[in-house]
Amino acid sequence: MSAVWLLLPLYVVPFVSHNEVLLTILIFTYILSILATGFNIVFGYAGQLTMFHGAAFGIGGYATYLILSKFGVSFWLAMLPMFVAILLLSLLVGWVCFKFRLREFYFAVVTLAFAELIRLVVLNWNDVTNGSLGLLVLDKPTVWWPGRGVIKIDGTIAWYLLALTSLLAVTLVSKLLVRSWIGRNFAAIRLNEELAQTLGINTFRYKLLAFTVSNLFAAFAGALFGFYSNYIEPAQLSITQSLDAIAMVLLGGMGSILGPVVGALLLTGLPHIIHFSAELRAATYGAILIAVILLMPRGVVGLFPGRRHVS
Amino acid sequence: MTQIILGQILNGIIVGTLYGIIALGVTLTFGITGIVNFALGQFMMIGAYATWHLTDVTHLPYPISVALAVLIAALAGFLSDRALFQFTRNNLVNGLLVSIGLISIIESGVLLLYTATPKNMDFVLSGSWTVGAITVARMKVVTFAVLLTVIAFTWLALANTWLGRATRAYAQNPEAAMLMGVKTEMLQIGVSVYSCALAGVGGALYAGIYSLEPSMGALFILKGVEAAILAGVGNLAGALVGGIILGITESIGALFLPTAFRDAYGLVFLVAILLFRPSGLFGSQK
Repeated sequence: MSAVWLLLPLYVVPFVSHNEVLLTILIFTYILSILATGFNIVFGYAGQLTMFHGAAFGIGGYATYLILSKFGVSFWLAMLPMFVAILLLSLLVGWVCFKFRLREFYFAVVTLAFAELIRLVVLNWNDVTNGSLGLLVLDKPTVWWPGRGVIKIDGTIAWYLLALTSLLAVTLVSKLLVRSWIGRNFAAIRLNEELAQTLGINTFRYKLLAFTVSNLFAAFAGALFGFYSNYIEPAQLSITQSLDAIAMVLLGGMGSILGPVVGALLLTGLPHIIHFSAELRAATYGAILIAVILLMPRGVVGLFPGRRHVS
Repeated sequence: MTQIILGQILNGIIVGTLYGIIALGVTLTFGITGIVNFALGQFMMIGAYATWHLTDVTHLPYPISVALAVLIAALAGFLSDRALFQFTRNNLVNGLLVSIGLISIIESGVLLLYTATPKNMDFVLSGSWTVGAITVARMKVVTFAVLLTVIAFTWLALANTWLGRATRAYAQNPEAAMLMGVKTEMLQIGVSVYSCALAGVGGALYAGIYSLEPSMGALFILKGVEAAILAGVGNLAGALVGGIILGITESIGALFLPTAFRDAYGLVFLVAILLFRPSGLFGSQK
């Protein structure tokens, strides 16, 4: 469990520093880490190159907000039907892809096609999603706090704590998952799918599981992202969103629990630390990505051999 | 109605050849270097902006601008191969990520140089031809003819020359090709550069018809990859046909169904093809 506990000291940050920029970067880092952690499960552990997590991320934001505003329920209650929807959608898309034995590049392209179709629906369903203008999210999640009753998550410090706690929960779940027999079956599928099948592993079922879990994480991240940034737009479902998460995982280190977090921190933080215009910032992002892929093929976490586990 | 449909089909064919030339680059690069270069759309953009700059700013004649623009795209391709892609041979995921990094860099560069304002080139060839009730802009016909020539030339070269045979041999069995004296490193560089040059040709001709935006590359690489898969990756003649089918599907789809979903028809078609003919329309079944 060691790796996950390395996140605990981060709880101290908002009480030491009141730098809004730093805290905001960290909040975005934690939320995007959840998305990246999901991708890490399906790709880093089970070896399936999905492009669907961006769509799940976007739907997470849209569905949660739409359910919340339509039925007047709380953020957490609204997330339940959203998770059910994502579950069904993942099962459907995953069933189609895996039943037809799509692999590697082809799996990537078909999941990408499904994600694009969903983005086009969101973009053009003006009555519900407000089209390309997006939706303004004015509600906030609430939590019960001992002694203070139900409080709204508002302001940077509250969001910091919520985002970090969510990330901690997600990394714990993913750690438990990949350390269990399920994780070993994922690894078997990644390393040699035919062999895994001859050993009696129902590869179809485990690939579907990895795909679904990754999308559920992505949707959770999307809901947090939409409510934190107060804004949901179709771009959150875009290919770029999927690619960013992939970049984070590869940058941080694939197949390690903390890799996605490190990657998310670098890709979210570095372009802000280096002060450039918007155009140069995109170029910096590209340059960082290329440099890490070519110079550190096992990611940043790969530089610390003791912290990397390949199950 | 018939003439509208025919007009849309013609439009689809012309846009489809543009998809086809990118698809050809995708297929060639994938067959020889084992990666999908998603930055090919950006090389197309380089070709397009170079043509625009040379024609409208430097006032060179259009054909010379096109030739120079293709050279510039090829040179950029050579540099990107030496600096980046030579390290990602046969590594699909790393190739994907490096090309995404490259996309950000090239797009930022173009934004800095030319801003986000769309650029419209002055008419190179105005007017149109009318056959019966159908009117087609002359420039579109010329574009179509040039692209078709380039694709046919590529196809003939691959079928008949020693280098072409070497390329096909390498795509089939790299080790055997190496043993037969194919210089694999040179071949990989050559194909990588040639694919970028093809994209540059597409861009240079695109500049003569449509307006240019820094974001144009993203759309075309997606269509190119779709077309390549539609035909079956590795199928050269199929890349063109795949592009044209995609172009026609979109134009006809947009005619009868909501235009907002124009990009969706190709995707639905693609998913259906992949599910029922996993090796593409023209690929051999395993």
